[in-house]
Amino acid sequence: MPIRKLCDGNEAAAYGVKLSKPEVMAVYPISPQTPLANRLASWVATGEIKAKYVTVESEHAAMSVLAGASAAGARTFTASSSQGIVFMEELIWQVAGRRLPVVMAIVNRTIAWPSGLRPEHTDALLQRDSGWILIFCENSQEVLDTCIQAYKIAEDERVYLPVAFCYDGYEISHCSIPIEIPDQDDVDDFLPPYEHKYVYLDVDRPLMVREHPSGPGWDCRMETRYQVDEAMKNARKVIKEVGEEYGKRFGRSYGLIEKYKCDNARAVLITMGAITGVAKYVVDKMQEDGKPIGLVKLRVFRPFPVEELREMAKEVEAIGVIDRNISYGSAGGGIGCVEIARALYHMEERPLLAGFYAGLAGREVLPSHIEYAAEKLLKICEKGKVEKEIEWIGLRR
Amino acid sequence: MLEEEIILPGHRACPGCGGAIAERLILNTLGRNTILFGEGVCASACTRNVTIPSMTLHFSGVVAGATGIISALEAKGKTDITVASFNGDGATSDIGFAKLSAGAERNDNLIHFCLDNEAYMNTGIQKSHLTPYKAWTTTTPWGKTTPKKNLPLLMAYHFIPYVATVSVAYPKDFISKVEKAKKIKGFKYIHVLCPCPTGWRFSAEKTIEVARLAVQTRVWPLYEVENGKLTITVKPKKRSVKDYLAIQGRFRHLTEEDIQQIERHVDKEWERLERLEQTGI
Repeated sequence: MPIRKLCDGNEAAAYGVKLSKPEVMAVYPISPQTPLANRLASWVATGEIKAKYVTVESEHAAMSVLAGASAAGARTFTASSSQGIVFMEELIWQVAGRRLPVVMAIVNRTIAWPSGLRPEHTDALLQRDSGWILIFCENSQEVLDTCIQAYKIAEDERVYLPVAFCYDGYEISHCSIPIEIPDQDDVDDFLPPYEHKYVYLDVDRPLMVREHPSGPGWDCRMETRYQVDEAMKNARKVIKEVGEEYGKRFGRSYGLIEKYKCDNARAVLITMGAITGVAKYVVDKMQEDGKPIGLVKLRVFRPFPVEELREMAKEVEAIGVIDRNISYGSAGGGIGCVEIARALYHMEERPLLAGFYAGLAGREVLPSHIEYAAEKLLKICEKGKVEKEIEWIGLRR
Repeated sequence: MLEEEIILPGHRACPGCGGAIAERLILNTLGRNTILFGEGVCASACTRNVTIPSMTLHFSGVVAGATGIISALEAKGKTDITVASFNGDGATSDIGFAKLSAGAERNDNLIHFCLDNEAYMNTGIQKSHLTPYKAWTTTTPWGKTTPKKNLPLLMAYHFIPYVATVSVAYPKDFISKVEKAKKIKGFKYIHVLCPCPTGWRFSAEKTIEVARLAVQTRVWPLYEVENGKLTITVKPKKRSVKDYLAIQGRFRHLTEEDIQQIERHVDKEWERLERLEQTGI
């Protein structure tokens, strides 16, 4: 029987991991992921999780351990934040290119400098080019659900790519809400044991899982890039299938994006992660006042949900992207805004687009900030043109 | 030793590569029930062509990848497979040193082999922490000014069950140590001195001669440390270090004073080993 429990994001992630039955975990502690690292270690100690927990000396080592373990046939898990993610960068690419279905929690935290503990999505979005599937969660329930789905997506033979599920540090990782924890038997039924069809280290079937700078297969590197990109395309379908199957079994369905009250909206805001909760509250209030504003939650950033966004964009006059991330000197706006501009570019009639920076380096995003962006967007609809392409909300001048 | 070779013909190492000889001895001794984790290029020039399962990651992933493999095997209850981790001196002693130390600290059940050719040979003979005092490299064109790090003893002081030094010129000693390591549970560290004709500047047919001189001059003492008990396994009649240094172009610029200084250092280190043989570590 599923149980209901008050859980913060880290605890929810721990339950998700436990239910997914990893065999090897290597976790190096870093705030705000630390309670997750500790809880997993304690559950291994009590036997509630039957896995090897490798006490590594760095995040770089953590992902190295998982690469070896995953190639040797184990289901694996790690979690990290900000500097830890940056430190493991080299391995992040190694794991994806080798098609190893590692799963990682990224508990979003600001990358230094400026140093800070509070959330920003740049640590996860830095990995957008690496071949990792990136899913952003809105709350603890979604953290747990996405963790279980992450394994199913990663281990699908049409995909065989690593998955990171991301949740904002403190705002999700340390804030408790009541959630439903599924029954182990139901999860076992949903998620079969891991076995890789093509990558293995088995003395009875010798295989070289290694680089090919000049060795066998020396002339298939461009094709390797192509295949990862193809797998990413397949992942769009697989993520949807897995999200729908999860919904049928557990009552909560997931897709690449979530449209929230977009019917009859002239303009929509697009958000990721914890800000979505605040934005839903604002949209509710503004719609009560008769304002035609809707919301789209961008749940999956890689693979980027191009078709879904185009479909949605056909129905609206203006889109406002709220980015809690930075790409200094970009074409305009945050990483999400730039990506959406490309996704909509080839539409015959595309809506107007405005970008908003909010909550950078962990600044709290208030309902008034979201409301400001929404009002700006509605003005853009009225005027039929964008006067200010990018705005910083909540910036002290 | 297996009759049948584990490394396929046509390896990519230079002619006279000490590392290639070492890898052949190691793999044929460990046998087919082995998974190989190695990275970097010199150290994997031969092991790219092996007929056992193998994996590489990158220079700095030393040991950790092998830890992942052994952890997966343990999680699946496969306890009879040997996991061998291979690296050169650059990866083992420099860029991957923290991971080597961490694997030893956790006492992971694997054997790490340091194939030491005393510089970053594959990128073009740059200094490593295991380059000896005064040796020429492309980044120490006037000779290295600091001594070679004593990695085997550093590993012994991690209090792991087994540490050994071996040489390709002493294959019986080499093989018996690998066989012993294979039977011991926990972290095993075996350090091979691999003469490198390309980087040390000697002609390719002299590899074994150079390796033997390293032992005979006591520049490279052969010993093992088993559960803290240190045993010098080959006790050669001492020859002057001059014999070893003179046949390598990388030491061509040494003065008489430099050679005497090296001799004194070698004698002091040998005395240290003899003391440790009495006291244990």
